Amino acid sequence: MSILRKLGKIDYRWLYITSLILTAIPLFVPIGLSVTLSEPVKDYYAAIQALPEDSVIAVSFGGSAALLDEQEAQFLATWKTIFSLGHKVIFYSTTEDGPMILRDHLGKKVIPEDYGYTYGVDYVELGFSPLGEPGQASFAANIRGVYQADSRGTPLDDLPMMIGFNNFENIDLLIYEYTSCTDIEWAIRQWTVPYQTKVIATTLGCCGPMAAPYYPSQIAGFLSGSGAGTELEVLSGNPGPGAAMSDSKSIGILPQLIFIAFGNIAYFANKFSKEDEQ
Amino acid sequence: MSTLKKEVPKLIVMVFGILMILGSYTTIPIFDTLNAELTSWTMTISAVSVWLGAVYATYANYQLYMRNRKEGIEHLIYFVVPFLVFGLQFGAGILYGVESSQYLWYFAHIYTNIGAAVYAVMFFTLASSAYRTFIASSWDAFALLAGGLIYTLRQIPLFQAFIPGIVGAGEWIMLVPNVGGGRGAVIAAALGALALGIRTLMGKEATVTEGA
Amino acid sequence: MVGTMELLGMALGTFLIFSTLSMLWKDNPFFRVGQMAVMGSSIAHFILLNMQTVRDNAWTPLLNGDILMVIPLVLGLLMYARLKKSIAWLSRYPSSVLIGIGTGVMIAGTVSGQVLDQIAITITDVFNGGGINAMIIAIGVVTSITFFVFTKEHTGVVGKSASIGRKFLMISLGANWSGEIVWYLTQLVGRLMYIKNFLTALMGG
Repeated sequence: MSILRKLGKIDYRWLYITSLILTAIPLFVPIGLSVTLSEPVKDYYAAIQALPEDSVIAVSFGGSAALLDEQEAQFLATWKTIFSLGHKVIFYSTTEDGPMILRDHLGKKVIPEDYGYTYGVDYVELGFSPLGEPGQASFAANIRGVYQADSRGTPLDDLPMMIGFNNFENIDLLIYEYTSCTDIEWAIRQWTVPYQTKVIATTLGCCGPMAAPYYPSQIAGFLSGSGAGTELEVLSGNPGPGAAMSDSKSIGILPQLIFIAFGNIAYFANKFSKEDEQ
Repeated sequence: MSTLKKEVPKLIVMVFGILMILGSYTTIPIFDTLNAELTSWTMTISAVSVWLGAVYATYANYQLYMRNRKEGIEHLIYFVVPFLVFGLQFGAGILYGVESSQYLWYFAHIYTNIGAAVYAVMFFTLASSAYRTFIASSWDAFALLAGGLIYTLRQIPLFQAFIPGIVGAGEWIMLVPNVGGGRGAVIAAALGALALGIRTLMGKEATVTEGA
Repeated sequence: MVGTMELLGMALGTFLIFSTLSMLWKDNPFFRVGQMAVMGSSIAHFILLNMQTVRDNAWTPLLNGDILMVIPLVLGLLMYARLKKSIAWLSRYPSSVLIGIGTGVMIAGTVSGQVLDQIAITITDVFNGGGINAMIIAIGVVTSITFFVFTKEHTGVVGKSASIGRKFLMISLGANWSGEIVWYLTQLVGRLMYIKNFLTALMGG
């Protein structure tokens, strides 16, 4: 068998080993490659920048602990951007992991108080509720129908920010953070269509192509994957965990691409040699 | 009895569904109030029934143990480990609260770690399957390969730096042909979902209400 | 300096990462122990968080006089009826409530958001100076919808249209695959960083 045809029969454990080694090397020897900005990320950032002073942003937080590596750069850069502009923020969690991530990250990695924020006046955290699509509809129409108190047990009416604040009319921007690819449809159906609320989204890399059909007419911008999170870090001038991963991703993907090339070379070598034999 | 078992559930689906639709399409306050109340019920129902998942998982684990117990002591370990971790973490949550450092220890080092590691394993399995299957053996396969490779190169800073035009090409792939195909799929799926939804509200989808 | 409990936790986490990755070699007891551990951990987590939801959304309002909260609480309990065959049919009531509400909420937004608006945007872009890209998108939309028409045989014009639509869908799937592989790679990088942080902490860093 010619060498070209053998390229299609390499033991895939070589792919595993080379991928693992090449992914690990930049963690010890950083390269420092720059990133290029994409349109959805620029529009995502512009949507936040375009808000008038003292706007209210609702963050539908669908974070997952297992997916923090992919999402962390996105929401840390987003929150730093929002806090540095001084907008009021309501966080509400749609996943069981949400409150834990928020408690950890808002308490340690991005501290609103460092930006002059006061809890209850400038930002609130409403906690977890298994909203689903009906829950999003309920929240948009009547926040107190879903939450009677915040995550700390304080009744909403005791929070200065929540006085007279109960539905979509008070929300200037919805940041929809989700991990299940079809969930973007919930935001479209329950926020964009009935109330024309401006929506921007953050999601996993594989869900970006599924969010693209709704961009830019129904969602003003979106972040897809940790790469987009890194782009937002660069765009907003807020360094974070995304940059540290970029180099490893750059080198770690190489074996995969080389093996796909090998597979195709082997296929065509096989095909043309069979044609020659005929 | 048949009425209680079959007809009443179908009637419930129809009534609640129509109430939701009326609340969305009309500006009559009573429907808005009902919508808000009923949608909040879904969260309570979902939350109350969460123990059902635990019961089914326990039963499945027990069946697995009973099938394999003759093979050795390790199958007892597989049966005991989930209960041990559940007990320790649940106990930490009840005694100290889910915000406590004790609970977060389990959350960070067991729950988060294994969940993330499973996705890391999927990189290797996806990579090896792509090696075998991402072959340009037809125009369809070529389209799959081209879309995948160009968009992959666009996402990786190494190629952004050294391949001129790759960022533009990748953006074009995502925002033009991907949108063309994706939007068509969205519309087709939405029409299918509408048909299924209407059939469900009319009580013609028996599998939905007669699952139990 | 990292505390002892934290160091122990990182050691356990590192062991669990290796136990999960060991599945690539072959199914083995270490992998199975890790999977069983995460099963117990996630069940505990989901139950605790949802118990809080029941307490905050239903139990406390009920105690404060909102008598209507009895209904969703009872419906939620009826879900457990499916555990006993003779009364399993009772669980159809809460299921029907969830399905009815979910279906109604879905239908209301789907007509506008995912059908009419999407068609309107596609046509508007073509006539509003969207250029060649808007034309390509419009062709992609029409041909990929044709691909999903299963009530007509894919021959002749319909067949050619479906064939073109399939190419557009393949490009979409390729882009999807690309997002997935980079996502999984990111997860791998994250776990390797965790191991690196553990080794650093172990060496007193």
